[in-house]
Amino acid sequence: MLTRRRFLGYSALTPAVLAYRPLLSMGQTPAKGRIRIAVLGTSYHYGSAMQTIADRFLVGYPHEGEWHMPDVQIVSMYLDARPHGGEGVHGVVRSVPQDAGDLSVGRAKEFGFRACNNIPEALRCGGTKLAVDAVLCVVEQGNYPRNHKDQILYPRYDFFQQCVQVFEEEGLSVPYFNHESLSFSFPEAKSMVAASERLKFGLLAGSSLPVTWRIPDVDIPLGARIEEAVMVGVGPLDGMDFDALEAMQCMLERRAGGETGVKAVQLLEGDDVWAGGESGRWSKELLSSALSRSDAIQGLTVTDGRPQDMVAGGVLPQLVKNPLAYCIEYQDGTRATMLMLNGANEDFVFSARVAGHGLVATQFFHSPPPNVTYSACLAAKIEELFCKGTAPYPARRTMLVSGMMEACLNSRSRLNQRLETPHLDVHYKPSADSQYARA
Amino acid sequence: MPQIASDAKRPRVAVLANVYKTHLHTQHIIDRVLEGYDWGGVFRHPALDVVSIYVEQRGEGDLVPERAERHPAMKVCASVADALTLGTGKLAVDGVIYIGEQGDYPTNEKGQTLYPRYQFYKQVIEVFRSSGRSVPVYTDKHFSWNWAWAKEMYDDSRKLGFPLMGGSSLPVTWRIPQVEMPQDAVVTEAMCVAFGSLDSYDIHALETLQCMVERRKGGETGVEWVQAYRGDNFWKAHEEGVWSPALFKAALCRSHTLGQCRESFTDVYPTAQEIKALVKTPMAYHFKYKDGLRGTIMLMNGLVEDFNFAATIQGQEKPFSLMMYLSRGRELATLESYFDPIVYYIEQMMYTHKEPYPPERVLLATGLLCAGVDSLFQGEQRLQTPQLAIQYQPAASTLRRT
Repeated sequence: MLTRRRFLGYSALTPAVLAYRPLLSMGQTPAKGRIRIAVLGTSYHYGSAMQTIADRFLVGYPHEGEWHMPDVQIVSMYLDARPHGGEGVHGVVRSVPQDAGDLSVGRAKEFGFRACNNIPEALRCGGTKLAVDAVLCVVEQGNYPRNHKDQILYPRYDFFQQCVQVFEEEGLSVPYFNHESLSFSFPEAKSMVAASERLKFGLLAGSSLPVTWRIPDVDIPLGARIEEAVMVGVGPLDGMDFDALEAMQCMLERRAGGETGVKAVQLLEGDDVWAGGESGRWSKELLSSALSRSDAIQGLTVTDGRPQDMVAGGVLPQLVKNPLAYCIEYQDGTRATMLMLNGANEDFVFSARVAGHGLVATQFFHSPPPNVTYSACLAAKIEELFCKGTAPYPARRTMLVSGMMEACLNSRSRLNQRLETPHLDVHYKPSADSQYARA
Repeated sequence: MPQIASDAKRPRVAVLANVYKTHLHTQHIIDRVLEGYDWGGVFRHPALDVVSIYVEQRGEGDLVPERAERHPAMKVCASVADALTLGTGKLAVDGVIYIGEQGDYPTNEKGQTLYPRYQFYKQVIEVFRSSGRSVPVYTDKHFSWNWAWAKEMYDDSRKLGFPLMGGSSLPVTWRIPQVEMPQDAVVTEAMCVAFGSLDSYDIHALETLQCMVERRKGGETGVEWVQAYRGDNFWKAHEEGVWSPALFKAALCRSHTLGQCRESFTDVYPTAQEIKALVKTPMAYHFKYKDGLRGTIMLMNGLVEDFNFAATIQGQEKPFSLMMYLSRGRELATLESYFDPIVYYIEQMMYTHKEPYPPERVLLATGLLCAGVDSLFQGEQRLQTPQLAIQYQPAASTLRRT
């Protein structure tokens, strides 16, 4: 709680400390009919998730073979990690040196939106009433501490609550996008989804992986029986593992009966991961299949180019120093495992054995920087939320994955025990249509 | 494609190559035959036995000794004839795979690298003739830098009646999105915006375009003329609308590597001025088919690092467009998955003795390349191409789906 208190010290979370800016200036008046959005986040740096997502609503993005200019206008922005203490931002050159990497000031000037000192100000655009039609929230990167379970304490819940407070005060709510996990705490994630249901506003959440291009373009047939699934991800703990779990979940939720929740999780580490493969805790066949979809195999492939069956070749234990296996047991008995094998491959790949359909194996295309076109795929979904008011796929997916993530880290902090997860009794139906980029 | 019968005898193949080093075509293709590759979401070990290999340029970085040691059935040979006859004095293999790409070879005054594809191929033909039989041949990329030789190579295969497969990996790689040109579409203009250098990546762009437009109504009719554009001539033609601005934009909107001019932005569609600033030496081959279709391929280094296709199809409001997938960008990929289908189709051909797709496509693309290079060399003149009156019908779609 100490950490939370520190968060509460931030201006974002103490709305009274800073005076509101003047009302909308001419430059900020949105074109008639355009959807006005407030952007909330932590930092707007080159290459940050915020920059690569929010920019899409300023300069457009590639979509279905065209350069699409969304009918959306950013009217306000609040950044938690933006340096404070200078002059107000909109239209005013700062009189104090600013963070060299911060782009928000330049963007505000160029695109004529208001840089705000707190969340209510951003939602009301400096006025007294809710003055936006939607909220885009990208709380990521920035300098937030980790707790004893190695979770990064991003204040996503806190940001959301600030907005809910405004919605409740005004009796009016607008669609909300939350990038990545809803919260490091499942109860918080759950309350966020509950608030969106109570106040009847569209909530979309999660990462780009579920909606990016797939190579090949395949999905789990809706209502098929999944015998077992293996996902492989890459990246740091409590980072890209969430994205990989979510990619896995967007496949698994399409199984017969829809999502019925998670019964138990276990996070295996080190040699226990390999032992799990030998004992059938996770399928070596499916790992081999998933890795066959990788374009970024490491080891001898880097040295002399050769393709390798990493599983049959027995090279994984030499290449992967700290393997992790996130073992998920669903309520309906389905088993899925997400493996973080840093050192083996550098992309996101999946394979499932599906009754009557054989192997469904694909790569979630993590397209190259700087363009990171996968975020354009996400921007299209965010725009859909903003335009229609309803989320194209359920936030309960992200809620469940937030809970799976937390439970796996709990398992890790409890000597990698298997943990029953009766609290992850999360039911939802997937969207009938595939939601990833295909056209 | 017909599936391989499980009880069929495993074909024994000879490998011929210019050079076999890390990250070169021979390594990508032959390693997949020897070590396996992804097909259908499983790591597939092709049912082919490489029984011999002849590599012309050995020396530092040569992978032959290491590969031969781990695959002792592969005999290292001293000549093309040795590799094909295995000391028996006559053809002793069921197929030939020739990778005549890369290696240290001279270039001519037109900038073409004088790869010895024709010379290798003729040695193969000599063995076929003296043995009184012939087997399927795969030859990588275009047939030859010399049109007359390319035509002779194709004609040899028709005369001797052996299946011939060649060309680029682009027509068979993954596509984003995973779509196929509708069969019998009425196509009025087509374009591929690509990158790379003359006599190297231009052939990939040409084949990207050709594998699409050959599916148009009436099939392939051949090419009437070709004209190259470079530098200022390119920009003038670009601005005057010699090729469609709409297709150019549609192709760029499929790129995942769009060049950026504006500091601090990561994915902005560039203005016309920015495009000019990004591309120092633009180049295009613009050509007209016999049936009126216009085609353009361009190498736009600085603007894209992928192969993007767009076409105008009668009756469709938006251009038909896609990207041909060459892995995740050169810095991130370690494994060039676009070679997987090449190896799959080689394997199929060795078993079925059927050409997986028409060698006429490769022949026409070779001819387009030779004519494009000639046009550049002759001051970017428009060149009539009666030699490219090549007609053929497309094969079944080879769009990669698995």
